[in-house]
Amino acid sequence: MDPIPVFAPASPLAHALSALLVGVFAVLVGIFLLVTTLVIYMIVRYRDRPGAPEARQIFGWNALEVTWTLIPAGILAVFSVFMVAADRAADPLIPPGRKPDLEVIGHQWWWEINYVASGAVAANEIHIPIGKSILIELKSADVIHDFWAPELGRKIDAVPGHPNTLWIEADAPGTYLGTCAEFCGVEHAWMRFRVIAQNEADFDTWQRAQLAIPPAPSAPDALAGAKLFADKTCINCHSIAGTAGNQTVGPDLTHIASRTMLAGEAARNTPEELFRWLKQPDAIKPQSHMPDFKLTDDEAHQLVAYLEGLK
Amino acid sequence: MISIRERGKMGVGLFILSEANFFLLLIVAYVYYHAYPGQGPTAASALNTARTAAFSVALFASSATIFMASRAARRGDSGGLVRWLAITIALGTLFIFGQAKEYYDLIESGVGVSRNLFATTFFTLTGFHGVHVIIGLVALSITLALAMAGKLHPETRDGFGAVEWYWHFVDAVWVVVFSVVYLWSAAS
Amino acid sequence: MSQIVEAGVAPSLVPSEREGLLAWIASVDHKQIGILYMISAMFFFLIGGIEALVIRIQLLAPGLHIVSPETFDQMFTMHGTTMIFLFVMPMLTGFSTYMVPLMIGARDMAFPRLNAMSFWIQLFGGIILYFSFVAGGAPSAGWFAYTPLSEKAYSSLAGVDYWILGLACVGIGTLAGGINFVVTILCLRVEGLTIRRLPLFVWMTLVNSFLMIFALPLINAALAMLLIDRFFNAHVFDPAGGGSALLWQHYFWSFGHPEVYIMILPAFGIISEVIPVFSRKPIYGYEFVAASSVAIAFLSFTVWAHHMFAVGMSHVANLAFGVASMLIAVPTGIKIFNWTATMYGGRIRFTTAMKFAIAFLITFTIGGLSGISFAVFPLDWQLTDTYYLVAHFHYVLFGGSVFGIFAGFYYWFPKISGRMLSKRLGTWHFWLTFIGFNLTFFIQHVLGLAGMPRRVFTYPDLPGWYAMNLISSIGAFMLGISVLLLLWIVFDGINHGEPAGDNPWDAWTLEWATTSPPPPDNFDRVPPVHGRRPLWDLAHPDRADEVMAKL
Repeated sequence: MDPIPVFAPASPLAHALSALLVGVFAVLVGIFLLVTTLVIYMIVRYRDRPGAPEARQIFGWNALEVTWTLIPAGILAVFSVFMVAADRAADPLIPPGRKPDLEVIGHQWWWEINYVASGAVAANEIHIPIGKSILIELKSADVIHDFWAPELGRKIDAVPGHPNTLWIEADAPGTYLGTCAEFCGVEHAWMRFRVIAQNEADFDTWQRAQLAIPPAPSAPDALAGAKLFADKTCINCHSIAGTAGNQTVGPDLTHIASRTMLAGEAARNTPEELFRWLKQPDAIKPQSHMPDFKLTDDEAHQLVAYLEGLK
Repeated sequence: MISIRERGKMGVGLFILSEANFFLLLIVAYVYYHAYPGQGPTAASALNTARTAAFSVALFASSATIFMASRAARRGDSGGLVRWLAITIALGTLFIFGQAKEYYDLIESGVGVSRNLFATTFFTLTGFHGVHVIIGLVALSITLALAMAGKLHPETRDGFGAVEWYWHFVDAVWVVVFSVVYLWSAAS
Repeated sequence: MSQIVEAGVAPSLVPSEREGLLAWIASVDHKQIGILYMISAMFFFLIGGIEALVIRIQLLAPGLHIVSPETFDQMFTMHGTTMIFLFVMPMLTGFSTYMVPLMIGARDMAFPRLNAMSFWIQLFGGIILYFSFVAGGAPSAGWFAYTPLSEKAYSSLAGVDYWILGLACVGIGTLAGGINFVVTILCLRVEGLTIRRLPLFVWMTLVNSFLMIFALPLINAALAMLLIDRFFNAHVFDPAGGGSALLWQHYFWSFGHPEVYIMILPAFGIISEVIPVFSRKPIYGYEFVAASSVAIAFLSFTVWAHHMFAVGMSHVANLAFGVASMLIAVPTGIKIFNWTATMYGGRIRFTTAMKFAIAFLITFTIGGLSGISFAVFPLDWQLTDTYYLVAHFHYVLFGGSVFGIFAGFYYWFPKISGRMLSKRLGTWHFWLTFIGFNLTFFIQHVLGLAGMPRRVFTYPDLPGWYAMNLISSIGAFMLGISVLLLLWIVFDGINHGEPAGDNPWDAWTLEWATTSPPPPDNFDRVPPVHGRRPLWDLAHPDRADEVMAKL
C-alpha cells in the first residue's frame, strides 16, 4: 500500500479527487509562500533599530484593498468551477434502473457485505473485479459509520435510516485498505476493511467459492469445534451456511478461513491469532461485542481447527 | 445614541432575538416530523383546536391589557396600573391552566411525550412556550408587587418596559405556534 | 484617586474596600469578573492540555494499550469540549469583560450583576461537565455528540447527560454575556467615541456578541431535544424510533459553525490592537477589517453543512454549501493582508505579544488555507474525518485563537496586574510554543493524507504512521513544557515584575489612559476622544488622526 493513499489513486474516481487536490494544493501553497514572504519581509525591513525612520501613519488604500479582495475571490470562483467537475467525476449520477452491486452494512465494529446479484456474503474483506464501476448501497445497523478506501474513491457516511450510495472502482489488481471514518464507539479504530481487486476470472473463482457451502468437517478436532460452535451459542450471532447459524449480529463466518485479517483488522487471520481472539477477545479488541466464553485451551484449539477449515 | 435609560429594553430585545432563534429550531423540528409522520397520533387526531383557541384568546387579550397597564403607568395612574397588571396575570394564568388541561387530557389518552414524533415535538414546542409564559408571569407578579408597594417609579419604567416587551414576545411566539400547530398541521 | 505605584510594591490586582475571597465571589466589578474568567479558563486549559497529552501518549506508537478505548474516547471528547467551551470562549470573554468597558471609557458593563451571573454559571457548567468523571464516566461520544451514538441506546451512562447540562449552563452564560456586551458597547461609550471610532477589539466583541445571541440558542434547542430523547425515551434524533440522525447534525452545526467564528473574532480583535501598537502606526484599512467581520458574522450562518459534506447530501446542497464556504473565506482571509500591511512602513518592536501576533499571521493562514481545501467539497470526501482535519482545526484554533490569546495576555497583563512580564522568559515561551505547536500539528496534515482517521485509540503499523505519530507526540510534550513555563512566567510576573505604569507600550486606546491596574471606577478622568487613537491624538495634536484621516 502506498504511504500516501490519497495521492495514489487506483481508480478514475479517486484520480479525479487527487488531481484536484494537487491543483488546489499548488495554489494554496503559493498563497502561503506569498503571505509568509510578505510577513518576513515586513518584520525584517521595518524592524525597530537605531536610526530607523518614524513609522509612517498610513490608514489604508481602498483600491489596494478592493484588489486583494477580488483576486482571492476570483481564485475561489475558479475553484468552484473545478468543484463541480470533480463532483461529477468522483460521484457520477446513477443511471436510472441501475441496481447496486454490493449492499454494505456498517455494524459496531465490522462491515457486512452482501453481493446483490449472486447472494454471496462477506465480512470486512471485499473482493471486486477490476475495471468495473461498483455501486455500493451503504447502510448502518446501528450508529453512523463511514466507508473509506482512499485509493478507490470518496468516503461517505453509513447513516441509520438514510441509505447512501457510493461508487468504487479499481484499475488494477491489488489490496486496497479502508477504514471506518466516522467515530462510532469504542472500537472505531478496529473497524477497518480491505478491498481486494482481482481480474475477472479470479473474482469469479472467489465468488463461486464464497457461494459454496463448506463440507462438514472430518478431522476429530474440527468436528469437536463444529459441535462447540453450536453448543457455545456462537450460532446466536454468527452465520455459517449449512449450519443452524444464520444471524447477522456478528460477521458471517462461512468462509472465514479465506480472509486475510480478523476482527476488523485488529489481528491477522492465523491459527495463533484466532486462538488468542477466541480465548480473550478483549486482549485484541477491547470492549468489542465478542464475548469471552471462558474457553479452555482445548476448546479454543478445536474451534480454531473448525474455523480454519472454512475456506 | 441610545440612552442609558433604555438599557433594560435593549437587553430584553436582544434576548427576544435569541429566544426567537431557539423557538425557530423547535418549530422546524415540529414541521419536519409533521412531513414525515410515523405511526400513532397526529395533530389532526389528537388536538382540539377550538378549545385551545379559546384559551389562546386569553393570552392574546393579555397583550392588550399589559399595553393598558403601561399606558396607565405613563399617565401616573397607579391604581389603573395595578388593575391592568392583575388582569394580565389572570389572563396569562388562564392560558396556562388551559395548557395544563390540554396536556392532562392528552397524556390520559395515551399521547405522552415519547408516544411518537408528533407527540415529542408537540410537547417540546408548546412546553417550552409554556415555560416562557410562566417565567413571564413571575416577572409580571414581581412588577405587580412593586406597583402595589408604590415602588414603580419612572426610573424603573425601563424595567417594566422590558417585562412588557418580553410578554408581547411570548404572545407573538404563541401566534406562530398556534398557527403552525393548530391551524396548519391539525388541518393537513 | 490615582494610585501612586511605589517601586517594588505590588499593586493589588483590583483595589477595593472589601478584600478577601468573599469580595471576589460577590464582585460585580467587570475587572474582577474578567480576572475570574481568565483564572478559570487557565485552569481548564491545563486540564484540557493533560487530556491532550493522554491522547498523544496513547498514540505514541501503534498498538499501545496505555489507556482503554473507552478512556481514550472520554479524553478526546473532554479535550475538545473543555478547550472550546471552558478555555477559549471564557478566556476571550474574560479579555472582553476586563477591557471593553475601559476601552470605551465606561465605569463598568451595562448589567454588572448579569455579568457576574454569566461567569458563575459558566463555571458551574464546567463543574457539572467534570462531575461526570465520578458519576459513571465522562461523555465519550465526541465533542459534537452525533446521534444515535449519543442516544441512550449507545451511551447508556450519564456522561452525555452531564455534557448536555454543562453545555446548557455555559451556553446561557455566554448568551447573557453577549447581551451585556451589546448593550454596554452601544449605550455606555464616552462622549466622542462613535461606532466608527471603536477600537477594533471592541468592534469584534460587538459583532461577536451578536453571533452569540443568534447562535447559542440553536445549540440550546438541540441540547433540549437530545435531553428529552435521553430522559423521556423520545426519538427526535434517533433513527431507531423514526427520528433523524442528520437533523442533529444540521442543528448542531448551525450553531457549531458560528461558534468557530465566536472563537476567532475576538482573537482578530486582539491582533488588530497588538500589531498596530508594536508597529507604531494605525491599523491598515480599519473600515475593511471592521466590515469584513460583519460579513463573516452574516455568512457564518450560511455554511454549516460544510461539516456534513460526507453524510450523503444532494449534489445541489453540497454545491451550495461549498460555494458559501468559499465566500466566507474571502473576508476571513483578506484581514491577513490588512495586518501585514499594517507592518509596512512601521517601526516594529518584537515584544512577546508582537511575536505571537506575527506567528498568528503564519499559522492562521495555514489553517485558513487548509480550510479552503475542505470547502472544495469533493476534496472534503478524502480529507474529512482524518488527521488532516485535526491539523486544520488546530491551526485555526491553536495557531489562531490561542496565539491571539497569548498575544492579548502579554499585551494586557501589565494593565491588569500593574507588573511587567519577563521579556526573556516570554521569548522562551514563544519559541517553545511555536516550535512545539508546529511539530505537533503540521505532520498531522500528512498523517491524514496517509489515511489515518481521527478519533482512533490506536492504529495499524502502516508505513510512516508510527514515525509521524511519534513526531506529533514529541511536539505535544514540548507544548506541555511551554505551558508549565507560562505558569512560571505568570507567577514570576506577579511577584517580581517591574511596575508597569499607566502605558508601558505607549499605546493609544483608552485602557492605557488610567493606572495599572485601574481604580475601581476605571478612570479619574477620561481623555477627550476625537478619533480612533485618543492617546496618539493627545500626544501629537498636529498629526492627530482626525486631522490626517478626517475621522
